[in-house]
Amino acid sequence: MLRASLRSVRALGSRPAAAAAGHQWQAAVARRVTVPAQRPYSNDKKPSIDSAKPAAIPASETLTSPSTPPPPPPSTVASSIITPEAAPLTPPAPPVTPTAPAAAPTTPPPPPPPARPKKSFFRKLRNYFLTLTLLGALGFGGGVWYSRINDNFHDFFTEYVPYGEQAVLYLEELDFRKRFPNVGGMSRRDGGEQVKIPTQSGASWRVADHGEPAGRQSSALPKVAAAKDAAKATPVEIPAVAEAKKETAAIPKVAKNEGKPKVAKKVKAAPVPEAKATEPAPAAATPAVVAVGGTPSGKPFKAPEVDEPSRWPPASPIDPLAIPDAAEPVIQDLVRMLNDIITVINHDGANEKYASTIWKAKNELYGVGQKIRDIKTSVEKQAAKEVKVRVDEFDKAANELVSRIEGAMTTQETAWRHEFAEEMERIQKSYDEKVQVILEREQQINEQKLKNKLLEQAVELQRQFAGDIRKHVEEERDGRLGKLDELSAALAELEKLTTGWNEVVNTNLRTQQLHVAVDAVRASLEDASHPRPFIKELVALKEIAADDPVVDAAIASIHPSAYQRGISTPADLIDRFRRVATEVRKASLLPEDAGVASHASSYVLSKLLFKKQGLAAGDDVESILTRTQTYLEEGDLDKAAREMNGLSGWAKTLSRDWLGEVRKVLEVQQALEVIQAEARLQSLKVE
Amino acid sequence: MPESTTTPPAPSRAVARPVSEALLNEKWDFCLSNALIKSTLGLGFGVVFSVLIFKRRAWPAFVGVGFGAGRAYEECNSSLKLAAREIKKQA
Repeated sequence: MLRASLRSVRALGSRPAAAAAGHQWQAAVARRVTVPAQRPYSNDKKPSIDSAKPAAIPASETLTSPSTPPPPPPSTVASSIITPEAAPLTPPAPPVTPTAPAAAPTTPPPPPPPARPKKSFFRKLRNYFLTLTLLGALGFGGGVWYSRINDNFHDFFTEYVPYGEQAVLYLEELDFRKRFPNVGGMSRRDGGEQVKIPTQSGASWRVADHGEPAGRQSSALPKVAAAKDAAKATPVEIPAVAEAKKETAAIPKVAKNEGKPKVAKKVKAAPVPEAKATEPAPAAATPAVVAVGGTPSGKPFKAPEVDEPSRWPPASPIDPLAIPDAAEPVIQDLVRMLNDIITVINHDGANEKYASTIWKAKNELYGVGQKIRDIKTSVEKQAAKEVKVRVDEFDKAANELVSRIEGAMTTQETAWRHEFAEEMERIQKSYDEKVQVILEREQQINEQKLKNKLLEQAVELQRQFAGDIRKHVEEERDGRLGKLDELSAALAELEKLTTGWNEVVNTNLRTQQLHVAVDAVRASLEDASHPRPFIKELVALKEIAADDPVVDAAIASIHPSAYQRGISTPADLIDRFRRVATEVRKASLLPEDAGVASHASSYVLSKLLFKKQGLAAGDDVESILTRTQTYLEEGDLDKAAREMNGLSGWAKTLSRDWLGEVRKVLEVQQALEVIQAEARLQSLKVE
Repeated sequence: MPESTTTPPAPSRAVARPVSEALLNEKWDFCLSNALIKSTLGLGFGVVFSVLIFKRRAWPAFVGVGFGAGRAYEECNSSLKLAAREIKKQA
């Protein structure tokens, strides 16, 4: 049961992601709190379990497993807290187990647990904050420490961690101070009083040294001496102040306080005494130079008397003003040295001591400057003289050169003129020659052209002459040839006439032959007592006719079997007609679609019929037969055939062959008649 | 020569096709011969039957002749009618 419920709950809990996250967080918190609490419980467990319930053991076991935390979370934190409270009230406490272990350390009884959780909660909170602060402090400390080792981390730490920068800076400062206690103090003071320290600090002593020459050089080179005055006045003061400060720094602060007013006074005083102090300063120049090394050691003793000498040194800066030869580097250096010495003396307060020497030195410097100037002027004069001499020499040489060059030029010019003249002559000659050649050639060309023209004219004349001759000859020839043509035409006519006559004769002959041939055919037909072929006669006739269309058509109309086998004679035809007539008579009384009986009856009855005579009127078979017979007897084959053609039915079929014979004979007769007529026509035409 | 030329066409004509006037006669000849043969055949059958089965009675022989003659008549009739039809068609 319990496991099933757990599963279902787990399933529910696992579904919503957000909820799950919340649960996990809660679970983690719960575990954090519970784990320390559970340990004692595990120790105490055995007696407690023994005393309470055996059933609790499995529950606790299941709870110990990682799956246990999830079940309580489904509800909110408050609910989880509430449930344990409610749970102990009810006897079955398996789900409440997480609380139970928490409660266990105190004692088994249920009432205490509710109180304990509260306590434990506060304790938890306290512990939590404690650990948090501890961890934070540790982390911060570690960060600071590591930032000192790693530069990258240092950057990160100082930039993103609040108060990280301050802490790191503090530490660094501490470290720095440890390493350089003096400097560290100075630096500290620097941070505090920015304006004052540079003026008083000893470190600035070196800086001042460096700064002075730089400033002076820059000012000296581009500017004139007048500019230098101002420049010197300020730089000299500053180093003086710096020196004073340096000493004061070494001395307790009280001295410094005194120094400050001094400085202020100095600054105020400096402009004023400048003009006056020119005189005392040079006097102290020489001793100052000598005592440069000694000044630092001697000064501390005279520090308290600073007020007076402070007025003195401003006198010394006048030196540079007096130097007009500042442009020369040697003097510049010297002046600078002197100034340095003066400043040192000023600061040392030994102005009085060295004023005379310095003054001397200044005078000497002036002397040196003047000497240098003199040397320069003498040198310049010498140089000018030399230059003048050189210039004269150069002029002379130049004049000589010019005269020489002019002579050469003149000689060259004359030579060139000669050459030019010669060249001109040569060129003229060559041109003249060329012109002559060209002229000769042109003349030749012209002559040749004229000759050509003459030749052409001669040729044309010859041609014209030949043409004229030809024309005359042809005219004469035409006169004679015309007569010849007439003669030939007359001859041709005569020939035509003769040929025409020949033709007439020929046609006559042909017609005669045709007549003969036709006669021959007819004779062969009539002579024969029984049919025989007359093909030879027909062939001869065709040959004689010679492409006569009428004859050809007539012959074509004859059935081939007629001339191949011959045609039957009229006697034969009549004889055959008698036989055919008897047969036809037998079938004369037949009805249409006759059978055996009708045939037999017609055969019998036909014998009983009366015979007719002559040209009997009527359409019956008997009358037709008698009429044909009479026609045949008269010799009119054509009419007989027409009569027989009028038959029908069995009678016609029986007389078919005889009719065919008659038709052949008739065709042949007709053809022959046509040919004969044609022949007659031909003979008529000829005539 | 003329005789020799005339003689050959005659047989050829006979062989090739009967002359038109002999058409009917030929048919008659065929019919008669047919009738004779068939009637004799019938007679023969009839005689044999009469001898073998009918104790030499006469009527089976007559019946056989009648059968044969009837058969021949019918054939002749049909041939004639066919010829008549052909003639009609030609006309």
